[in-house]
Amino acid sequence: MSTMTKSVRNKKPVNWGRIGSYLILIIFAIIYLGPLLVLVNTSLKTMPSFMKDATGLARELHFQNFVEAWTKANFPKYLFNSLIYTVSATTIYIITAVFVSFPIARNYVKFSGPLLTLFVIALFLPPALIPQFQLILNLGLYNNPIGYIMLFIVNPIGIVILVNYIKSVPKELDEAAALDGCGYFRFVWSIVIPLIKPAIATVVVLHAIGIWNEIIAPTIYLTSEKYYPITRGLIVFQGVYGSNWPNLAAAVLMLTLPMLILFLFLQRYIISGLTSGSVKG
Amino acid sequence: MAYYFGSKRSRWTPYLLLLPGIFFYVLIALGPSIATSVYSFTNATGLKGAQIDWIGLDNYKEFLFMGQAAKDNFAALGRTLIFCFFVTTIQFGLGLLVAVIINQNLKGRNIFRTLYFMPVILGAVIQGLIWSLFLFPLGGPMARILELFGAQSEFLGGQPAEAFAWVIVIQIWANMGTTMIIFLSGLQTIGAEMYEAARIDGASSWQVFANVTWPLLTPSVNTNLTLNIIGSLQAWQLFLVLLGYRNGTQVLGYLIYAVGFGQTSGSVTSSFRQGYAAAASIILFLLVLVIGLGVNYILKRREERIMG
Repeated sequence: MSTMTKSVRNKKPVNWGRIGSYLILIIFAIIYLGPLLVLVNTSLKTMPSFMKDATGLARELHFQNFVEAWTKANFPKYLFNSLIYTVSATTIYIITAVFVSFPIARNYVKFSGPLLTLFVIALFLPPALIPQFQLILNLGLYNNPIGYIMLFIVNPIGIVILVNYIKSVPKELDEAAALDGCGYFRFVWSIVIPLIKPAIATVVVLHAIGIWNEIIAPTIYLTSEKYYPITRGLIVFQGVYGSNWPNLAAAVLMLTLPMLILFLFLQRYIISGLTSGSVKG
Repeated sequence: MAYYFGSKRSRWTPYLLLLPGIFFYVLIALGPSIATSVYSFTNATGLKGAQIDWIGLDNYKEFLFMGQAAKDNFAALGRTLIFCFFVTTIQFGLGLLVAVIINQNLKGRNIFRTLYFMPVILGAVIQGLIWSLFLFPLGGPMARILELFGAQSEFLGGQPAEAFAWVIVIQIWANMGTTMIIFLSGLQTIGAEMYEAARIDGASSWQVFANVTWPLLTPSVNTNLTLNIIGSLQAWQLFLVLLGYRNGTQVLGYLIYAVGFGQTSGSVTSSFRQGYAAAASIILFLLVLVIGLGVNYILKRREERIMG
């Protein structure tokens, strides 16, 4: 680890620092890629060949696993549910969040400062788990998709991210638009929202991933199988067909691959959410 | 602050449009959050419309002092601290190591970064299932690796302590990328001229790290430590997916869920011990608060010492 970056041009000594660095990166790459490759491999094996040798390379390319996994479980239904929950909760959330964040960032409402504090404070309070359940139960929304969606239409960190971003949009814009006769709603809807797209994208991506991957809330709130999102559906599938790893692996892979592809496109939004959300201090 | 949009009457528009967001927030997040402490003094169940009685400190007394249950609770509390300690320190160390390496001008660094960060999008269920397969005890990949050393193991189905240790490993695998990303963004704020100056002075790589990188990385160090400690004290999704509610492995978060939502007493909502679970939530909350404030205090003092 002695010479990390500079190498002398004439002599070209062996750069141990660089070699060591690559070695560490490759070891970690194996740890991260290994389990995924095992998943792919298992999804292509037949059950007998898995029983005989769980780790050996799949020679038979048994694509039938994917068909079986897809038909055995109600995956289209689960996926549809997840999609409905994620899209509707995220949409309601982001629209209400913009109309909360904009006037706070601009001081267009009284007590803007305390209002923002009100949102930050939730991060330092006890978990809401139990009273939330009592609320949903007493509203008659237990085991009900509407009650389930309600749980996900708030997210204080998103408000903080949006407020910070809106502050970077010049105020002169408001004045100019108002002079042209533009109303408040139309201004926020058709001028502010397009201008703060990067922040909106970040908040939407973080929020949507959270809902899509949620496993605790569906376990608590949804008891009918017809309402299960994909996470809970996968657990059910594991419960029934868990001993058939080739099938289970195929099911997991079918749900993992789209997420990984999506990840390549959304990565920068997740990163900007992490780094802007964590400055809160 | 000047308001430009329209006449006096339309001055109310921002308030009107702000209302739904505030209403939902108070109803679904803030209100319930505050109400947790109220519920902790009651015998609430999960039965709709049932009478709820005020029982004072009974839930707390039971949680802390009542026989075997209290012993189990303290065991879970201990495991929560152990989980937090190992996850935080290892994830912090590995995340820093990988970030410093990737921050060099290496070929393919973006590929490595993407790869390590990838599990964050998968969520606990897929992370858990992928690892359950990797740890398949009958000839699975990890079993094969152990075979090379003449060892064997039941992994997640084995001794509670071993199963617990594997959850720590998987938790770190899943979240190290986040720690790395926060360190990387911190590293990128350190200007190249700082390194140049140190090198001209003849500093070794280790000296550069100790005297330039490490002190200037203080903000990311604070963020990562705080996030990891608070996060790992409350995390239990992977326990749910990988182990289920198994004796000798539960952490506090899982215990709260189990008593509150009937994992220990049947699945009829009337058997949910919600008041007791609320008391347990408050105890976990106080634990997080005390540790969080303590760590925050230490980090602040350290920052003052470094930044002057």
